Amino acid sequence: MIETFFGSGTLDTPAAFLASLLIGIAFGMALEQAGFGSSRRLAGIFYFRDMTVLKVMFTAVVVAMLGICYAKAFGWVTLENVYFLHTLYAAQILGGVLFGAGFVMSGWCPGTGAVGLASGKIDALVFLMGAAGGSMLYNEVYPILGSITTADRGVIFAYDSLGVSEASFAFFLTLIAVGCFWGSEYIEKKRHGKGEQWGTPFLKAFSAVLIVGAFGLFAVAGQSTSAFSKAAQETGLLDGLQAGLDHIEPQELADRLLAGDPSVKLVDIRTPVEFAQFHIRSAMNIQVGDLPASLASHKNQGLIVLYSNGMTHPAQARDSLFRLGFNNVYFLTDGLEGFLKTCLKPVSLRPEPVSRALASKINAWRAFFFALAIPAGDSAATANLSSALDLSPLKIPGLVETDWLNTNLGKPGLKIIDLRTQPEYNSGHIPGSLSLNLESLRGLVRGVPSSLLPVAMLAEHFSLMGVRPDDFVVLVCTDKLQDATLVGMACERLQHSRYGMLRGGFPKWQAEKCPLDTIFPSIKPSHYPVPERPETFTVTAREVLTAINKPGTIILDVRSADYFTGKKQDEARGGHIPGAINRPFSEDVATVDTYNAFKPIDALRGIYGKLIPTKETPVIVHCRTGHQASQTYFVLVRLLGYSDVTWYDAGWTEWAARPEFPVE
Amino acid sequence: MNPYYAGVLLGITLLLSYLILGAGLGASSGIARVGASIELLLAPARTLASEYFGNWGQHPLKYYLVFMLAGVFFGGLISALLANRCDVKVERGATCSSQKRLRFALAGGIIAGFASRLANGCTSGQALTGSAALITGSLLFLIFMFAGGYSIAWFVRRQWDD
Repeated sequence: MIETFFGSGTLDTPAAFLASLLIGIAFGMALEQAGFGSSRRLAGIFYFRDMTVLKVMFTAVVVAMLGICYAKAFGWVTLENVYFLHTLYAAQILGGVLFGAGFVMSGWCPGTGAVGLASGKIDALVFLMGAAGGSMLYNEVYPILGSITTADRGVIFAYDSLGVSEASFAFFLTLIAVGCFWGSEYIEKKRHGKGEQWGTPFLKAFSAVLIVGAFGLFAVAGQSTSAFSKAAQETGLLDGLQAGLDHIEPQELADRLLAGDPSVKLVDIRTPVEFAQFHIRSAMNIQVGDLPASLASHKNQGLIVLYSNGMTHPAQARDSLFRLGFNNVYFLTDGLEGFLKTCLKPVSLRPEPVSRALASKINAWRAFFFALAIPAGDSAATANLSSALDLSPLKIPGLVETDWLNTNLGKPGLKIIDLRTQPEYNSGHIPGSLSLNLESLRGLVRGVPSSLLPVAMLAEHFSLMGVRPDDFVVLVCTDKLQDATLVGMACERLQHSRYGMLRGGFPKWQAEKCPLDTIFPSIKPSHYPVPERPETFTVTAREVLTAINKPGTIILDVRSADYFTGKKQDEARGGHIPGAINRPFSEDVATVDTYNAFKPIDALRGIYGKLIPTKETPVIVHCRTGHQASQTYFVLVRLLGYSDVTWYDAGWTEWAARPEFPVE
Repeated sequence: MNPYYAGVLLGITLLLSYLILGAGLGASSGIARVGASIELLLAPARTLASEYFGNWGQHPLKYYLVFMLAGVFFGGLISALLANRCDVKVERGATCSSQKRLRFALAGGIIAGFASRLANGCTSGQALTGSAALITGSLLFLIFMFAGGYSIAWFVRRQWDD
């Protein structure tokens, strides 16, 4: 097997870029020499005027095909070191028809267009601009194309599709190509009275060489009659299984991670919710379908270790990756459950006697794997590790009970944010909690006051508070639940899903006589990363305007009824967005004893079930400044599980002040 | 050049691409990535959030096929200069106006750009590269590309009339 950039996973390095540039130059010269700097010539094939395209393309295909077939037969090329295109029937058939139409209309295709541009053809420049525009258009409609873009059948060879041997298919294709050459020459002879090569010794010799070359494939084909390296791969798979080379023991994984072994790439293939609750430190969460793409840069480099709760899914995933040429994938013996039992179960709870050496190892593992992003050597934190934060009883993001918070106080990885006023905080707060003024997360953004700050500024705030991405954040408010949910929106914008709001807030905590403190916690600022992808739940007035005219989208105005009807108004214009329905946010909340809490889930489910047809219905929530609507957003998305809810943060403040927007 | 010689050169280039890069030739990806980076300049957040372009991250141009496309341009330029075939003009039939010809070029470009994303490749990436490897979907692309071309050809023939 020869070393290729693809095979060694270095296709994204400067060396590969240079090689691509040089190959591109050869490619461009070959196209130009063929006369493909001319659209008239390219289009000629569609009018049987000039058959050059057919001659050049078929020659190139047959020459490269013979080369690849021989390279495969000699074992130089396999599925591991060469990227073969996947087959997606509908996309390639429909794409082919459309592409052909575009080709004949413009007289160009992308490669020849670049050559045409180099030859000074203005129509080539216009074609290339169109093609870039067409790509952008594709990006726009991509979400609605659905299964046509995802029905990936993997690498399928035509000879396997037809159930014939590779050599006979290649031979057959060569005969067709030679037939086309002679046919093309004949057509040109009839059209122009002369065929440049019709019957010349050159064409006879050239045809003979190709046919003999293709015939030679039968001689070398022996072992590679069908799906060349599949058999070898399957044997490799079985050998690996038998030798136990496909899995890694929990102790070995724990030791390697503890030692900071950089070659281990640990992948959790469970759902994001399970992952958020607990995962082995340093693991990445990747869903099975995304594995090949996400792990492409680690292909055959270092050690990829997959785990889930048990062993079945990782083993299946590992086998599929192996078939795609990944030879460095392992799965964790007995999965996450085994890992917890073998490595992290406290010594005191083990029925079997534990040697002193193992006991100290277990303690080291526990310290490491339960330390949520705590810098090594932080002795205060390690002292606390005997009991780690247990998020399993919680639904995250969601509500947190006072009991849970009370038992988990002081544990590493827990950040409590108190949203009451500073004097209230100073006179007594939940131990370890931080005081945050809600308004510091809002400001003037693009002319709209009281908007939630852009993500980079929120990340800066979280850094100053010392919050880390894997911290669990508990939000504590008074009777205004929307205070907690607005900070929840900040978490959502940062894609910090590990947050919850304390049910009943500070009043309930106080009523239950839970511990209080007046000490400021010591905070070490963190570097909260700005998420790579922006959130998509905030919408602008433009999107609301589109939604008005689109049946099926519900605009939910959560202000009180008087503001909705226009009876009361604080802005230039009263009323509501045309077609909006009113569900005041305050009606989702009830006072229980001394504190405010959301009404029972079943009651809320019933109410919203009547307002919104399905859980998938697009809903836009808004109020005046985004504050109250954040509460309805939390109820719909985090408590009731609605999947397509967006938040018009600018709300009535902006709408009323833009005379061009319609009001009802 | 004798078209068969040019074809052999092209075939050898394709074979070398397979053996050195471990992947075949491609041109439309480069164009699409230029499109994505233009969109990224105009509306970064929107582009990164989009499902298709978003996958390419913040630097879509750092990709081997973008460099290959640049190579195709320079290769074409070198060859055209050497053969004295550089000539700034709109190529068209004598009786067709430049404007009409450019409208066809633009419309065809948009369709071809869209189709090449749908099929994940164009004449280079699918018809040549995939067919040479005897990939079922690529051979279907090749067949249906000619089918699509021939079925439209009659309607757009006037741009080449002399």
